[in-house]
Amino acid sequence: MLEFSHVSVSCGHTPILKDISVSFPSGQITTLIGPNGCGKTTLLQCLNGVSKVTAGTIRLNGENYLKLPPKERAKKLAFLPQVRTIIPALPTKTLVEHGRFPHLGFSRKKSVKDVEIVSRAMEFTHVTEYADCSVDTLSGGMRQRVFFAMVLAQDCDYIVLDEPTTYLDISGQREFLEMVCTLKEQGKTVILILHDLNQALRISDRLLVMNDRKIKAAGTPEDCLASGVIEEVFQTQIRTFTDGEERFYFFR
Amino acid sequence: MKKHPAFLIFILFLILLVSVVLGILFGSVNLTFSDIFHVLTGNDRSSTAYILITTVRIPRVIGGLFAGVGLSCAGVILQTVMNNSLASPNTIGVNSGSGFAVMLALIFFPANSFYLPVFAFLGALLTTLAIFLLAAASDSSRTTIILAGITVSSFLNAGINTMKLLDTDITVNLTSFLIGTLSGLTLNKIKLPCLCILAAFAVSLFFARPLNLLALGDDIAHSLGLRVSLTRFLLLILSSILAGCVVSYAGLLSFIGLIVPHICRRLFGNDARFLLPCSALLGAGFVILCDLLGRVIVAPFELPAGIIMSFIGGPFFLYLLLKKKGGRRVHA
Repeated sequence: MLEFSHVSVSCGHTPILKDISVSFPSGQITTLIGPNGCGKTTLLQCLNGVSKVTAGTIRLNGENYLKLPPKERAKKLAFLPQVRTIIPALPTKTLVEHGRFPHLGFSRKKSVKDVEIVSRAMEFTHVTEYADCSVDTLSGGMRQRVFFAMVLAQDCDYIVLDEPTTYLDISGQREFLEMVCTLKEQGKTVILILHDLNQALRISDRLLVMNDRKIKAAGTPEDCLASGVIEEVFQTQIRTFTDGEERFYFFR
Repeated sequence: MKKHPAFLIFILFLILLVSVVLGILFGSVNLTFSDIFHVLTGNDRSSTAYILITTVRIPRVIGGLFAGVGLSCAGVILQTVMNNSLASPNTIGVNSGSGFAVMLALIFFPANSFYLPVFAFLGALLTTLAIFLLAAASDSSRTTIILAGITVSSFLNAGINTMKLLDTDITVNLTSFLIGTLSGLTLNKIKLPCLCILAAFAVSLFFARPLNLLALGDDIAHSLGLRVSLTRFLLLILSSILAGCVVSYAGLLSFIGLIVPHICRRLFGNDARFLLPCSALLGAGFVILCDLLGRVIVAPFELPAGIIMSFIGGPFFLYLLLKKKGGRRVHA
């Protein structure tokens, strides 16, 4: 269980988030949704140290998360930031190996276990055959999977993905979300930020609805739909259709 | 085409070895092989050849070697830390900062050469920090860093020129100092700075993986558990030692800190674990060879190494820039 209690974040002297308390249950997919600029990324960036927490605490399985040294933190929780501007000219395998950084000692030598975890992560995201290709020669969808493999190589129980499907085409998005669901089946806790409400409603166990830098609602997708909070926050109307087994949502 | 990194390092090492040997064998005075044989066997310590080789050529070659190592590695580090492929000890004003400090040292402590590397290091560090903070405060766009560097550079160069014009007692040849030269080095003068460069280079190898993480951008580096600000700060200090110590004895050798890392990036990729040693080896060989050419082509006169470096390095770098990269695009 990952718990934020009364967390505030400031940038310089400007407060951005104030007194946020939320929790992310283990073994579930929790998705943050909300309009652009509502503070989703800022909130999650408390977890990788990019946002500076000025008040409140974060507990991971009861442990004070913010007091952990950065490397210990990165052994427990993996974080894939939003769209990247820097695409390194490194072989895929080398990039994925970076995910082992928090586990390496002072000599930074890879053990047999490190090598094994790296190749497992690459198999999981289907990038093994590109192991020797330079990442900057790969397509956008492949790059995203390579970075995903890097994050998986951290071998953490908690995985945070900030807008992982933005800029992927339909099939790329579906494949990516299928991988996320497989991770959940493996017992991982996944925290997502998604902009596609359809995807968010369909794969999440829990939704966190944010607006104006505040948490508006937290609960199952059904609860959030029923309470009308999503319609209110996005100023839209939702129609639901069912074709027997699957549910589809339409927005206007 | 996949080349084994150890093999590449070996080739570069051979190139360096050859340049060291050539640098000792040839010069503005022609020595025969028998002269050199006599020197090496230690007979006849009073011969011209012996004195020439031990007091002129060997210090020069050692100085050149460490100048190449220092500036190339400083370039690799600065490019990564500033996330800017245009960064180098020269473009961001580090060389000028340390040159300015060297001039100050020459005025205030003319007799004591111990202060030169210390001043050079402090000058380099202060300038690096200034540029870094300036860029951070103004939201560090890549152009800002370079513009700030060029501005600070010209400001400090003006300072260097003023000091030289007003204080005619300074014993340094200003033109050579600004271009960068290895002439007139003695073992005594280069001992301390070279040891510092060697130490800083060794330490920088331990920072190869953190450098690789920084190259991915701050957010990913944070996420992978790197102490980003601390690492950056330590790396800036390292690069200041590397560049500052070179300036203290070789002047403002420019360009090498920019092109050697780039040549190595193009030839060997961006992995700092190979980039640092490869740049160090290539940089060292390059400086020694340029210095040798400068001594030989217009003998008995001498062209400063910095000039040759720009003459040879410039066109070669342009060729690399214009050459199409052989990478193929792979689609998923």
